[in-house]
Amino acid sequence: MNPTLRKLFRKGTPPQAEIDAFIAAGEFPLVDGSDVTFVYHGTADQVYLRCWISGFDTAQPLQELSGTELWATTINLPAGSRIEYKFEVIANGQRRLIVDPLNDVLAHDPFGANSVCQGAGYERPLWTLHDPEARGGAIELARLNSGAFRDSRDVSIYLPARFRRNRRYPLLVVHDGHDFLRYADLKTVLDNLIHYLEIPQMIVALTQSPDRLKEYAADDRHAAFIADDLLPYMAEHWPLIDDRAARGMMGASFGGVAALHAAWKFPERFGNLLLQSGSFAFSDIGRHQRGPVFDPVARFMNAFREEPGELSGKIYMSCGIYESLIYENRSLLPRLQQQGIDVRFEEVRDAHNWENWRDRLRTGLSWLFPGPLWLVYE
Amino acid sequence: MKIRLLLGPQRPVINLGQAMRDASVPDGPVAVIAAGWQEAESDVDDVATAAAREVINLALYRRADEVFAGAPELQAAYRERQEQLQELQRLYAQRLRQTMAAARQMLRASGSSSLVGPEQRHAIAQLRALDRHHLQRLQVMHAEFDAAFDIRSNALLAQHAAEIAAHLANVQTVVITGGNVAVLLNRLQLFDLGNSLASRHLVAWSAGAMALTERVVLFHDNAPQGRRNPEIFGAGLGIVPHHVLLPDAKRRLRTGDRIRLALFSRRFAPSACIALDSGGVLRFAGDHIAMANDARQIAANGRLRRVKVS
Repeated sequence: MNPTLRKLFRKGTPPQAEIDAFIAAGEFPLVDGSDVTFVYHGTADQVYLRCWISGFDTAQPLQELSGTELWATTINLPAGSRIEYKFEVIANGQRRLIVDPLNDVLAHDPFGANSVCQGAGYERPLWTLHDPEARGGAIELARLNSGAFRDSRDVSIYLPARFRRNRRYPLLVVHDGHDFLRYADLKTVLDNLIHYLEIPQMIVALTQSPDRLKEYAADDRHAAFIADDLLPYMAEHWPLIDDRAARGMMGASFGGVAALHAAWKFPERFGNLLLQSGSFAFSDIGRHQRGPVFDPVARFMNAFREEPGELSGKIYMSCGIYESLIYENRSLLPRLQQQGIDVRFEEVRDAHNWENWRDRLRTGLSWLFPGPLWLVYE
Repeated sequence: MKIRLLLGPQRPVINLGQAMRDASVPDGPVAVIAAGWQEAESDVDDVATAAAREVINLALYRRADEVFAGAPELQAAYRERQEQLQELQRLYAQRLRQTMAAARQMLRASGSSSLVGPEQRHAIAQLRALDRHHLQRLQVMHAEFDAAFDIRSNALLAQHAAEIAAHLANVQTVVITGGNVAVLLNRLQLFDLGNSLASRHLVAWSAGAMALTERVVLFHDNAPQGRRNPEIFGAGLGIVPHHVLLPDAKRRLRTGDRIRLALFSRRFAPSACIALDSGGVLRFAGDHIAMANDARQIAANGRLRRVKVS
């Protein structure tokens, strides 16, 4: 039992006033080295911890602490870990999936919010937080006609602070760009890293698919959209360095597949890829073990693993070791290295979520696009 | 003999004024080159305060912007040259990675010195050959550009050069600040200031100090993306020969990695690799160090030792 809980129960069932004081004073979940204790307070028939971590049971039951409305369970979480979770509370025959009422730290994603458990040693990187000294870039909205999709698409364009038309800039294309802005603080990160000279001033095209599970799943139309619609549009309207080494693409999950696939189809266009928790399903024999939405992905990945083609340049990959995709990502690494690609792979104690992807941006971006910090000696 | 005073970064320790007094830099106004600060070039009030002198800002960064704005063709050619230089630097860095890895492995190799020693020397010789090759390629690229573009015939450039010369005629001393060493060198070369500077007393720190040496070596072992091999960026003005300057070394250099430092020292020998942190001072008499304070030299065994004064 967690020492704080043990102290609370040292004389048997504690009076309500002590429980209230315990709740008011505690920071939940309770982190004691690698032991993390999740606590729920309330009337319930059953309570489960749901944290979608590969290797854990999907639902871990919390135990009711005798004579109280406190429920608790302890898991072993290695130092530096960060996980997202919810409580499943069953009461009066009804199931509710809720964030932890005792924990104010939340992470948001397109499906809502999760509670965040920060294991011992994890700290949110300072460079992900707004720095008042960092001048902010601007975001402009554009709409371009897509021959590939036969429709028109919204693109948000990040322009760095002190943008000047008479200069030329590297270009980064971001899949799920609006989600990266909203859930991974991408604009703040770009503003800060540029201010710290860790990445160069760059222009960033933020795309968002209306049907990502289809269009990002190795869809040739999407690759053509990037290569034949977006890139010419960007080159026409913005001062870009005309060199593949100064162009990059990034994406997470299916967005990682979309980026890799587009680069594979048009290897002469991009010299840098940043792929986070890529959904790189493949099969050595037989069918892959994921759902039908992965069928086109697996077909592409099998073809890619067989023949990576002319893909070259630099690739930064990252994946959480608490996500099942770690297997696919680890498996891709040697294949890329065999191809002679300059690959950097980072495994982290996190899972498939936006804050994991946010926390990796500094290493990934500064490795692919080293900033003038290297040249600055104050 | 002209004073050559090289300082460490002016943060957190500001020793510009004290060092100038100690070196008996002649009284009078000083010209300041702060092009390494780019858009912040005009903010030289702190320099004036620290030096306790009237300062004349030569404004090389602004002047270059004006020249380029008035000559789009020159700007385009210059930009293209810059992009070629960057590409060349990328290629060099790629080759360097393999060569450095091999040299580091050789320095770690155990065995009899008669067996290992020649392999180590050869690995380092290959590294030095690559550095020489890169430097030559850079020089060729610059020479080709100069031959193709008669940059001096640009009227606005000539006008700015004349104004700079007039300012310099009124000072005995030039102060060169830190900042972006690539931008600084670029502007110094654009206005062809090497000879003008050499004939004056010079006080420089960080990037400014690096620009005065023969070879500018970029380094940063603690960058967010990880270690990067030290790279020759190009030729400096050569006013302070036989030394490689490493400003802010406590922060940028992994001083505990003996193999890495040994390789640093042997790679650039016979030039002395000097770590110069905030508060540090080096005063040169000709091409040797006449006075050193808080400056350390990387020895061939990878240790940092006090700079010897001769």
